[in-house]
Amino acid sequence: MKAALTFWDGRISPVFDVSREAMVLTIEKGAVAGRRRENIEASSAARKIERIMELGVQTLICGAISEPLHRELTERGVVVLAFVAGEIDEVIDAFLAGLLPAPAFSMPGCRGRQMRFRGGRGRGGKRARDWGPSGRH
Amino acid sequence: MSRHDDRPPSPSSGRIDTDSILESISDGVFTVDRQWRVTSFNRAAEQITGVSREDAIGCRCSDVFRASMCETDCALRHTMNTGAALVNRTTFIVNAEGKRIPISVSTALLRDEHGVVVGGAETFRDLSLIEELRSQIRGRYQVGDIVSHSASMRRVIEVIPRIAESESTILISGETGTGKELVARAIHGLSQRRDGPFVAVNCGALPDTLLESELFGYKAGAFTGATRDKPGRFALARNGTLFLDEIGEVSPALQVRLLRVLQDKRFEPLGATRTEKTNARVIVATNRDLDDLVERGAFRQDLYYRIKIMKLDLPPLRQRREDIPLLVQHFIAAFNALQNKQVTGVSPDVLGVLTAHDYPGNVRELQNIIEHAFVLLHKGQIELEHLPAELVPIWQHPPVGPSMSDTIQAVEAQAIREALERNQGNRLAAAQELGMHKSTFFRKVRRLGIDLPKKDGRSTPNGGGKS
Repeated sequence: MKAALTFWDGRISPVFDVSREAMVLTIEKGAVAGRRRENIEASSAARKIERIMELGVQTLICGAISEPLHRELTERGVVVLAFVAGEIDEVIDAFLAGLLPAPAFSMPGCRGRQMRFRGGRGRGGKRARDWGPSGRH
Repeated sequence: MSRHDDRPPSPSSGRIDTDSILESISDGVFTVDRQWRVTSFNRAAEQITGVSREDAIGCRCSDVFRASMCETDCALRHTMNTGAALVNRTTFIVNAEGKRIPISVSTALLRDEHGVVVGGAETFRDLSLIEELRSQIRGRYQVGDIVSHSASMRRVIEVIPRIAESESTILISGETGTGKELVARAIHGLSQRRDGPFVAVNCGALPDTLLESELFGYKAGAFTGATRDKPGRFALARNGTLFLDEIGEVSPALQVRLLRVLQDKRFEPLGATRTEKTNARVIVATNRDLDDLVERGAFRQDLYYRIKIMKLDLPPLRQRREDIPLLVQHFIAAFNALQNKQVTGVSPDVLGVLTAHDYPGNVRELQNIIEHAFVLLHKGQIELEHLPAELVPIWQHPPVGPSMSDTIQAVEAQAIREALERNQGNRLAAAQELGMHKSTFFRKVRRLGIDLPKKDGRSTPNGGGKS
C-alpha cells in the first residue's frame, strides 16, 4: 500500500489545502519498502486532489484539511487521517505501529474530530485496523 | 522621574490587569516564544479557532492556528525576522470542524523589560460576519458553493432548502459546467442526510458493464478477477445521497435495473444470491434533453417519470451575464485564499471581454479563465494579457494600450465571428442578424482584421449552389 504524509519543516504540514510537499511511503508487510518526496503544490483544490490520486495513495496523513477536500478524497476511496501533528519520523513510526490516530499526534483541539473520522471506534476497531499499514490493502 | 501621585487613579488592584483586557476584546490574541510555542491565548482566540487555551498553551503555533499562510508566508516569522509589524494581512484558518474561516492578522514583537525580543504577538479578527454582510449588501444569493444574484438562479436557490427537506428523487438539467453537482451537494448539505456520504458517479464516463458493477457492486467470484466483495455506490451511499451525473448516457438495459432500484429500493450486486436494501437518496443530472430522448425511444419513459418528480433547470451563464462580475470576484477571492496571492480584481477591459464571451463551458469555463490569469499573476489587477489568447484575438498584436474603445471593438469582433458561425459563413445573413448594412459589415470586418470563412454559406452540401 501507499501512504502519503504532507510535511513542512520536518513536521506534518499544518494545512493540507496549501501544503506543498508529501512523503510517499510504499509499505510492504508492515514496513517501509520505499520512501519518496513528492511535490503536491497545485493551483486549485481539484488539482491537489488529482495530484494525490495520481500518486496512487491509499492513506493520506495530514494536518488540518477543509471539509470539502476531505469529503472528496474520502469519496475517491482515500483514507484520510487528518488533524495529525508531530515530527514526521515519529508520525511514520506511530502509523507503522498502528497507533494512529492518537491523542499524542493530534492537533490541539482536534481529538474529538479525529475520533469521529474513525467512525467512533476505539483503537482496536475494525476500521482502525484496515487503515493501518498491516491492514488488508 | 515622574511622580506616581500625578497619574489618574488605577484600578482597585493597583495595577492594570492586561489579562482582563485581553479577555474582554473580540479579536483573537496569542503570543509565542522564540521556539514558536504558544505562551498565551485569549478567549476570542479560543472561540475563533475552536481550540481551548488549555490545549493551545505550549503547542506549536502552526498546529494551533492552522492558517493558510503558516507554511509559506508566516506573518509572525516575518515580524520576528525583520522586526517590522504587519497589519491586517488576510488569510484563512481551518478550524477543528474543517471549516475555512477568513481572518485578518496583525503581528508585533514581544520584548522583555530590557528590550530583548522574547517572542511575538499575533492578533486576528474573524471576517466571516463581514463577508456575510458584504454578501447581503451586494444582494447576492448564496447556498452551498453557489453564488448568484440573477433572477433565474434566485428561483433555483430559493427552492433548494425545500427540496432538501424532501426525500424525493430530483432531476437537475443544465449544460455542462452550469453547476449541477454543486446544486446536488447543496441539497445534500442542507438535508437531514448531511452527516452521511455524498457519492457522485459520472454515468457517461464508464462503459456499461463497469458502470453496473460500480453502481451495484459485486461478490467474490462473480467474474474472473473478482477476488473479493466490492460494495457498489448504492451501498456506499447508505444514509446519504447518490448523485448520478449524465443519466442520459445510461444504456436501456441498465435503465431497467435503475428503475427497479428507484421503485423497490432494492438491488442485487453482481454474483449475489440475495437482494440488498438501499436507503440512499438519489439525485440525477443530465445535459441532454431527456424529453427528446424519450420521444426517440433512447430513454425509458417510466424511468423518466420516476426521476423527474422534481426538476431543476440550471440556466447557462450566457443567460445570466449579470452574474459574471460576481463570479469573477468569487473566483478571485477563492484563488487568493487557496494560492496565497493578492490579486485585487480585473481591469474594466477584462470585465468587458469576460461579459461579452458566450461561455459554452459555462461557469467552469469562467473559473478556468480566472485560474489561467492566476498562473501568470501574483498580485495586482488581471489585465488583458493575462487572459487566454483565444478570448482576446484582436489584442494579439496590440497597436497601443487597451482602452474602452478597444473593449467595444473586441465585443464587436466577437459578435461578428459568432454571427458568421451561426449563419454558416453567410455574410449577408450575418449582417442582417446583427442589424447592420452589408457595407458597414464588410467595413467592420476589414477594420477589425477578421478572417472571413472560406465557405460563404450560400452553397449547399448537395452542390446546389452557384456554379
